[in-house]
Amino acid sequence: MVRTACIALGAIVLLSCSSSKSNQANAASNSVAASAETRTPPKLTHDQALALMKQRNDNMKAMGDAAGKVGKSFQSGSPDLNVIRQAAAQIASLAPKVVSWFPAGTGPDVGKTRAKAEIWQKPEDFASKAHDFSQAAMDFNDAAKLGDMNRIKVTFGAMGKTCKACHDLYRAPEH
Amino acid sequence: MRRSTESYSGRVSLRVWDLPIRLFHWLLAGLIAFSWWTAEYDHLDWHIWSGCAILTLLIFRLLWGFVGSSTARFRSFIRGPKSVVRYLRGSRWDNIGHTPLGALSVIALLLLLSVQVGLGLIAEDEDGIYFGPLAHLVSTDTSDTAREIHSPNFDLILALIGLHIGAILYYRFARGKRLTLPMITGRARVGAQVPPMQPGKWWAAVLCLAIALGITRWVIAGAPPFGS
Repeated sequence: MVRTACIALGAIVLLSCSSSKSNQANAASNSVAASAETRTPPKLTHDQALALMKQRNDNMKAMGDAAGKVGKSFQSGSPDLNVIRQAAAQIASLAPKVVSWFPAGTGPDVGKTRAKAEIWQKPEDFASKAHDFSQAAMDFNDAAKLGDMNRIKVTFGAMGKTCKACHDLYRAPEH
Repeated sequence: MRRSTESYSGRVSLRVWDLPIRLFHWLLAGLIAFSWWTAEYDHLDWHIWSGCAILTLLIFRLLWGFVGSSTARFRSFIRGPKSVVRYLRGSRWDNIGHTPLGALSVIALLLLLSVQVGLGLIAEDEDGIYFGPLAHLVSTDTSDTAREIHSPNFDLILALIGLHIGAILYYRFARGKRLTLPMITGRARVGAQVPPMQPGKWWAAVLCLAIALGITRWVIAGAPPFGS
């Protein structure tokens, strides 16, 4: 009886050791295999994917609304620097994260999204355009902080072009 | 004699539509098509200009409807529902210009187009890059809502245009009444008993156009003093 228990205990200890060893080995190989930029994330569950897609859509809308506030402020004839600064800061905080909102498994095959499948077919081009946007958003934010209205208008216009450059290729139309 | 062809089957070729109305009609048709195309293929800057041009035309038409030629004036073709019913029941219509039924269609189209232009004036695109000239007068939510209605409203306009063209074809092939050519040349063959068109004054047309352009310019500038 005691011998059986010892063998059972021994087996359990051995099994748990080996499984944790293989986990460590896996984790090590994962981080070695992954480059600095494209860490291979764990596969998303369907619910996680949908939640991310919804959050992504909200973030995009937030940036669009912020840009709209800036545009309207210009249009009113007496632009409000506070409004512009707030909007610029908001966009600049979100813009660098764009690529992270598009992991594998969040495309149109998974759920309702205006993200086109081309994003995952041409990841380098998509990432490059996202980088352009991020850069332009920084420039705009810097200009807003400085307060020079001419510079603000120029950088805002340039940023709008980067929005369009990506959307033209990678966003499906509204209807 | 079939009543529907009475007015247009005579030997006399008379003027029925004046030049301002004909220019208005065809420019409007062209601008609507251009507005659709620029929206569909994402040239929103041109789209906004096109909409402002339609605004000018609509204002002109409204003014000309009070001081223009007899067939252009609203009073000559806007009748109560009774006359529409009478017309549908087949009673004689010895006249030129819009029939009572056609009048309904004209009013509906002008109203829908006015709504469309009005919505466009305050709308913004979803990226916050393009704005109607009066968008700064309203909140972002209002502009977004305006844009969201602007698109399906066009489907209504398209349906009415389809009805309009269908009616033209029906009159042509079922009633033998030519309607397109008179809207181009301004002339139609009418019966002798038909009262002739009273033309409008050319300087009144110029004045209406000047006012329409002036109002449009003011709108494009953001409607000061409310805007820039």
